[in-house]
Amino acid sequence: MPDIETFMHIGLPHYLFLSAILFSFGMIAVLLRKNVIVMLMGIELMLNAVNLSFIAFSKESGSLNGHIMVFFVMTIAAAEAGVGLALVVSIYKKFHEVNIRFFEHLKG
Amino acid sequence: MLWEAIGFYSLALFLLFFAFKTITVPNPIHAALYLVLTMIGVAAVFFHLGAEFIAGVQMIVYAGAVMVLFVMVLMLFDLRAEIRSFSRGLFSGALKVMSAAMLAGLALGAANSSVAILEAPAAPLGGGDITRQLGIMLYTKYLYAFEILGILLLVVAVGVVSVSRIKGGTHARH
Amino acid sequence: MGTDAFEITVNFVKMVLIFLMMVQIVPLLVWVERRGSAYIQNRFGPNRVGPLGLMQLLADAVKFLTKEEFVPGRGYPFIYYAAPVVAMIPATLALNALPLSIPIHVEAFQMMGSSWGPYIFKFQGYDFGIGIVFVLGVSSLAAYALLLAGYGSNNKYSMYGALRASAQTISYELAMGLSIVGVILLFNTFSFSEIITQQAGPLSFGFMGRNVEIGWLPNWGIFYQPLGALILFAALFAEANRLPFDLPEAEGELVAGYHTEYSGFKFNMFFIGEYGHMLVASILMVIFFFGGYTLYPWLTPETVAAWFTGFSPTQASLLTALVLHVVMMTKVVFFLWIFIWVRWTLPRLRYDQLMDLGWRTMLPWALFNTVATAIIVLIARTGGVN
Repeated sequence: MPDIETFMHIGLPHYLFLSAILFSFGMIAVLLRKNVIVMLMGIELMLNAVNLSFIAFSKESGSLNGHIMVFFVMTIAAAEAGVGLALVVSIYKKFHEVNIRFFEHLKG
Repeated sequence: MLWEAIGFYSLALFLLFFAFKTITVPNPIHAALYLVLTMIGVAAVFFHLGAEFIAGVQMIVYAGAVMVLFVMVLMLFDLRAEIRSFSRGLFSGALKVMSAAMLAGLALGAANSSVAILEAPAAPLGGGDITRQLGIMLYTKYLYAFEILGILLLVVAVGVVSVSRIKGGTHARH
Repeated sequence: MGTDAFEITVNFVKMVLIFLMMVQIVPLLVWVERRGSAYIQNRFGPNRVGPLGLMQLLADAVKFLTKEEFVPGRGYPFIYYAAPVVAMIPATLALNALPLSIPIHVEAFQMMGSSWGPYIFKFQGYDFGIGIVFVLGVSSLAAYALLLAGYGSNNKYSMYGALRASAQTISYELAMGLSIVGVILLFNTFSFSEIITQQAGPLSFGFMGRNVEIGWLPNWGIFYQPLGALILFAALFAEANRLPFDLPEAEGELVAGYHTEYSGFKFNMFFIGEYGHMLVASILMVIFFFGGYTLYPWLTPETVAAWFTGFSPTQASLLTALVLHVVMMTKVVFFLWIFIWVRWTLPRLRYDQLMDLGWRTMLPWALFNTVATAIIVLIARTGGVN
């Protein structure tokens, strides 16, 4: 049974728990939502959760490598959002629909 | 100590509430707006962790650019609230939730066990000059990765333009 | 925030005062705008209510407060109500992070039977080390107010205005950020107060191991970054949605753009947000390129402090800060007047011209400015060696 000190003394585990919960929220959005754009948003949420744990680790270990990694993740996330939205726009122009169920025939 | 705990818990509460709303509201625009609030909340947590520069970049890149793009695209499509915004099928849905729960459990377990590794925290980050150290590291130790990211961004920019190009329009020259 | 009750109270009051300053400057600017436009177009402007039409502001306020509340029936009420509030937030947060004068040093004193102090109060709401990044990050949130207004109204004119606004904000943010990078390279810091401190004194710089000093010019950023200043000023016009870049509310095409459906006080809040943006933009120009609160060689912190030698240290510090604040606000008012002047002089751009200007003209020049500044700064700091 954790005592009150575990809750009051904010350290690495608290941030990691927060990050893990955010990550699974993002994953649920990707798995369960049918709108392609909301699924992309879920991916952004997952990347944010990972950034959070990077920064928390960086603070705890006293080195700046985590900050650098967050930079790279942010760049990739922006690029990913750009590509994803461009694909969604072209899909929407073709099918007039952003529901993932409507292009299941892409499975081949 | 007490104030730090209160700050963390209130931030975390807001963050989780907004993230939960993001994945549950049926209207995609509302989801995007809740995600903006989540991003700002994450920036606040970064600030809480002493990473001011990263927090500012988070505001500029995520809240200011990426999410504006999302909201803009959603408005262009003019989507109404979806009747069935979640996947159909009780069984597959339950399976997906279970897999997400398993992943969350794994992540939590990893978080728990990692605490043992990092029991003795190293020297705290040096004062207010984190940004300068960050710049120096980015342009010396990680220069190669940085250059590759530049090339990646160039490729992505060209790719996005070619994927979403419209024939005709105001700039067409025949 | 502070360590004891007095400090926390003063810091809180400071923030409220800065917010009130932003709100109070709006009616004055509206008056200046209407009289100034009349002057430029050879009309009279409002001149009936009070001397020089100054009481017109009061009449306007009464009108705004008593107008009928109108909510579009098919809109999204919560988003519709949220948009005007969101419009005021970025300008307020950004304004609070800007230093408006030198810090005030308060000596230790006795009050209510206990001793307090000494304190140092900064002449700004809060001071992060990374002020520039914070201001950029907060003002990039300004697009949401317009997007929310356009979406919540459920009106096609509002929607067009909102879409135009967000595209414009994203496009011009690039040029704005890049022109600020030149300033950051030049002054080697993210802190506003340090930028102002470095601009004190006569124009002097070291280049290739020699020291150049020109005694009759101030050490202002505009002499180092003329191109950056030009690009930043143009981009700030676009960020504040002012003519010639006011496509989001082009009244000839879109009725009133994103605030078509807003009336009364909600419309007024959009107005406050817009003028707040102008105020922040002018202060940024003054801090980056025009020496902030110093005016070399007459009004520097040292010369002004010498006026108040007869007073107690606390009073002298307070009076010095106030005089320098007036100096800064004079410069800011000049830039606000340029904003108004340009609005009534230049015609509005077409939308494709706006995008062309942003992406094909300002972005390449801003990139060129950044690279050139980086090379020159490197040569100047290392003397061509290494």
